Amino acid sequence: MLENLQLGLETALTPTNLLWCFVGVFLGTVIGLLPGLGSATGVAILLPVTLAMEPITALTMLAGIYYGSQYGASTSSILLATPGDSSSVVLTLDGYQMARNGRAGAALAISAISSFIASIVTLVGLLLLAQPIAAFALNFGPPENLAIILLGLATIVTFAGKNVLRGIIMAAVGLLISMVGIAAGFPTARFTFGSVNLLSGLEFVAVMIGLFALGEVLHQIHRGGEKPIRASFRDLLLTREELRRSVAPTFRGAGLGFGLGVLPGAGATLASFMSYGLEGRVGRHRRKLGSGTVEGVAGPEASNNAAANASFIPTLSLGIPGSGTTAILLGAFVIFGLQPGPLLFEQHPALVWGLLVSFFFGNLLLLVLNLPMAPVFAQLLRLPYSYLYPLILFLGFIGAFAVGNNMFTLYVVFAAGALGYLMKRFDFPVAPLVLGLVLGPLLERALNQTSSMGGGNLLIVFQRPIAATFVAAAVLAFVAPPLMKEIGRRRALRRAADRPDNEEIDA
Amino acid sequence: MSEAATVRPARERPARSDLVGTLVLAAVGAVATVMGIGYGVFDDGQVGPGFLPTVTGAFILLASLAEIARMYLAAPRVDTGGLLAAAESAEKAAAEVTTEERDVFGRTARQRGRAILLVFGTMLGALLLVQVIGLLLSLGVMVLAITLGVERKPLLISVLTTAGAVGAAYLIFIVGLGVPTPTGALGLI
Repeated sequence: MLENLQLGLETALTPTNLLWCFVGVFLGTVIGLLPGLGSATGVAILLPVTLAMEPITALTMLAGIYYGSQYGASTSSILLATPGDSSSVVLTLDGYQMARNGRAGAALAISAISSFIASIVTLVGLLLLAQPIAAFALNFGPPENLAIILLGLATIVTFAGKNVLRGIIMAAVGLLISMVGIAAGFPTARFTFGSVNLLSGLEFVAVMIGLFALGEVLHQIHRGGEKPIRASFRDLLLTREELRRSVAPTFRGAGLGFGLGVLPGAGATLASFMSYGLEGRVGRHRRKLGSGTVEGVAGPEASNNAAANASFIPTLSLGIPGSGTTAILLGAFVIFGLQPGPLLFEQHPALVWGLLVSFFFGNLLLLVLNLPMAPVFAQLLRLPYSYLYPLILFLGFIGAFAVGNNMFTLYVVFAAGALGYLMKRFDFPVAPLVLGLVLGPLLERALNQTSSMGGGNLLIVFQRPIAATFVAAAVLAFVAPPLMKEIGRRRALRRAADRPDNEEIDA
Repeated sequence: MSEAATVRPARERPARSDLVGTLVLAAVGAVATVMGIGYGVFDDGQVGPGFLPTVTGAFILLASLAEIARMYLAAPRVDTGGLLAAAESAEKAAAEVTTEERDVFGRTARQRGRAILLVFGTMLGALLLVQVIGLLLSLGVMVLAITLGVERKPLLISVLTTAGAVGAAYLIFIVGLGVPTPTGALGLI
């Protein structure tokens, strides 16, 4: 453990890696701050820029963008009621209300401090858990891999949001898109419709840029926007009472976020929602939640940062992305010739531990950047979107070309952009589609290998205890939430029926 | 009639966009299933190249049909007081389109709709132009066309923004990363 930590420190503390870590968290803050970008978009459009870097440097920067954007997204949620990222949607409730109550600076400070504390707490968990899980996963054969991918898909759909069935469908559509091109292990071209360009499949980065960058930009134009609230340096000073009230929600949020972030497919958005709900149940000022409470900011903020860090556990140790953005990061690993999974810890220890340790320095830099500089960053919200979005489109197209090196890639970006816009416009979740797209090739490989192992009998999955446990967990993850929802609904109806005022309705 | 029945909220009609979108997905599922079967579901008693497309396509088809059935038949949503209930209402509020007459960009809802179409058209035009003037210049034209034509921004600032974008992209992607961007018939950059 200490050896690994030392190796990580040596790698992360090289001037080059520290510099690009700083660049990553800085850009992440800016990206998260600006509505219409978000961590997934940021990582997707900046991935091509990192192609000439060493893998560890590039991944440190890209990961910095990811967790940096969590900080930035909170600022725009608090000051603009427009979340820069889906994980900060909940902050538009109490964070924005605090800002409207004249405590914008305090909300920003609580957000930065609780994020930092949560990140550091969960980082320790990450350092402790990632390798044992990877070591355990080394014993996995194809049936176990198949089972864990199914579990990943099941948890994705479980946490898809309001409409679980729609999430399931979008994850399956993602799987289908991943099958375009020559089938792995077969000479058969699938869904190519005679196009030579489609034989090698759809360029992952191009699809991501289209779905996230173009889709989000067009959706922002459709939505319109709101004027930001001003925050000054003086406002950043927290009262003792505010600081005291933020402690418990921060640790509750960190614990919840870590637990959810570890699950493949769950991610920061769900964590922040759940944390807000938890504060509504157990928080001391739960009745005031929604009116601008410290708890409504500290809890979700700690939770989404904890989950963002913890989502690297399934990503690095199992090769199963924990969220939409880590799915893109997983794609980045593959572009750099690395395969995330249990072997990564054995084959590239300096990279893994360097990356994990860089999170600590990244979060430290973020605190130093965000605590005193939040009002300065907030000025970026005044940057006219009319100039910003054409530049995002420009960068998206040129970045996609840099990865694909052909004109067809640009048409893929365009088509994926149209799809992304329509999905956002009509409320079809994008994240399950991305995760399906990433898990597709892994699922097919595990499926083919399991089929070979069992001589065509896929039921051998149930003959192996670990695989059977994962499949059972997947079924449970699939069935339990709708069941719980129905039970909750029936209870709520019964409660409503028992209320005395309903007697008047009856009458 | 029981008390529970009297407080049951009314069922909502599904939105047309939801219905059309889900029907499109059902059609995609059906096509994928048929094509998947054509690729060969099994190969020598083992999983064949069409296995996963068939299973996935059939799954999309069935799930889409179930979703359509849910839209019409599912019990109406009630506040269950669950952990996600408060957050879901926040998400809904955040996702709502600004209904004010003019947004912060000074546009009405109709103008925003037109702007989206114009941006789509400009992007497509820029991609078609690549063969003629090259990638960097055509993307530059796209930025200029959007800032001037769609956003109605001042000429000088629009030109400076475009020049900055083209210059930065040239330095990063062509000089720095050595990306061989197409220069088109014009052959400049």
